[in-house]
Amino acid sequence: MKIAVVDYGMGNIRSVSKALERVAPEAQVAVTTDPAVIRASDRVVVPGQGAMPDCMRQLAASGAREAVIEATRAKPFLGICIGMQMLFERGAEGDTPGLGLLAGGVPRFPAARMAGLKVPHMGWNEVRQVGPHALWSGIPSGERFYFVHSYYPAPADAALVAATCDYGVAFTCAIARDNIFAVQFHPEKSQAAGLRLLSNFVQWRP
Amino acid sequence: MLIIPAIDLKDGRCVRLQQGDMNRATVFGDDPVAMAKHWAAQGARRLHIVDLNGAVAGRPKNEKVIREMIQAVGQSTPIELGGGIRDLDTIESYLDAGVAYVIIGTAAVKNPGFLSDASYAFPGHIIAGLDAKDGKVAVEGWSKMTGHDVVDLAKKYEEFGVEALVYTDIGRDGMMTGVNIEATLKLAQAIKIPLIASGGLNSIKDVETVCQKLMPEGVIGAITGRALYEGKIDFKKAQAAADKASRKS
Repeated sequence: MKIAVVDYGMGNIRSVSKALERVAPEAQVAVTTDPAVIRASDRVVVPGQGAMPDCMRQLAASGAREAVIEATRAKPFLGICIGMQMLFERGAEGDTPGLGLLAGGVPRFPAARMAGLKVPHMGWNEVRQVGPHALWSGIPSGERFYFVHSYYPAPADAALVAATCDYGVAFTCAIARDNIFAVQFHPEKSQAAGLRLLSNFVQWRP
Repeated sequence: MLIIPAIDLKDGRCVRLQQGDMNRATVFGDDPVAMAKHWAAQGARRLHIVDLNGAVAGRPKNEKVIREMIQAVGQSTPIELGGGIRDLDTIESYLDAGVAYVIIGTAAVKNPGFLSDASYAFPGHIIAGLDAKDGKVAVEGWSKMTGHDVVDLAKKYEEFGVEALVYTDIGRDGMMTGVNIEATLKLAQAIKIPLIASGGLNSIKDVETVCQKLMPEGVIGAITGRALYEGKIDFKKAQAAADKASRKS
């Protein structure tokens, strides 16, 4: 099996690829921006950290943008953090157009509702699963995952929501549609539960 | 929030120093690998390992035993490692061996370019260590004070793209006089990256105080050493208290 981890210069690529190598020792994990490699892979992971405008710019500059869009339509696809946010129509951060593959936006935590909570949201928080999904296999609802973010996805279609989390507001922290699964938290930094999620992704047959 | 057991290595043994003084070391174990396994078995979700001889020498000194510790627990328990890490090759070799995070302390103060390069080369894996007293940064196992303001330096490190900061209040570490809440809070509020507080935890009450006052400001972990080794804090109870506090927030 070939797994492409898209390295457009904005992410914690090494953690992601190392974690994938651990859960899928037999797989070939390629850290790449080469569209040909992405197209030839069986599964695609798009990480991302930092700011959405930078990520969008870098993704375009890397030449991988079209291959990433194709992957979201064709094969098991995992978006992580900004790699998830970019799937939506528009991000509030720098009022950035996203890839527009999913209806909805990416708002910032509303200052008025944070009641003294710091933004960014940093640390471990409980992830409440909305319903069963292959990627939640063996992971109890309420398990803690690691977050670092100031913006969160707000899908227009509630059917996309795979999990929610509370931080001042209840927000969507995982989405699923067909062959796409994407998370706001960082499975590669979430220890056993995170590795389980990555392992589930590697075995997922949507 | 994580309770992070500290294993400080001096001459191949597990020690705790008082206020960073190499001459005031108490030995708590002769087998660092067994110690790492012990904390992993207790349910630690991260370990903090420091090569004290390495910090003094400016290059790794307990590398063999550190590699054995990584082999023993690194797969299941992420390790953050500091002490004597002064070049990119050393970082790479430790990361390849299975260390999750490398901590750069003195080298970052003396040569900020190195920290910047490391953060660029290994994003997500570099933690900057800041040791401070009365708001000013100290270096070299705390033996030297600098004129750097800790908040100013932390903001600079944040710009470099470090993953997190470890803040040690050197008036408190190993003295078990309680966490310097005000100083840690001031620093946490000034930055937007995760902060790990080190030193001063003395009781479950301290754990609860840290969770209540510091966790909402982005403090994701608290490193504790002496209090664990002297039995003042039970690890499992401390982590359970931190988890309980996390649910409330």
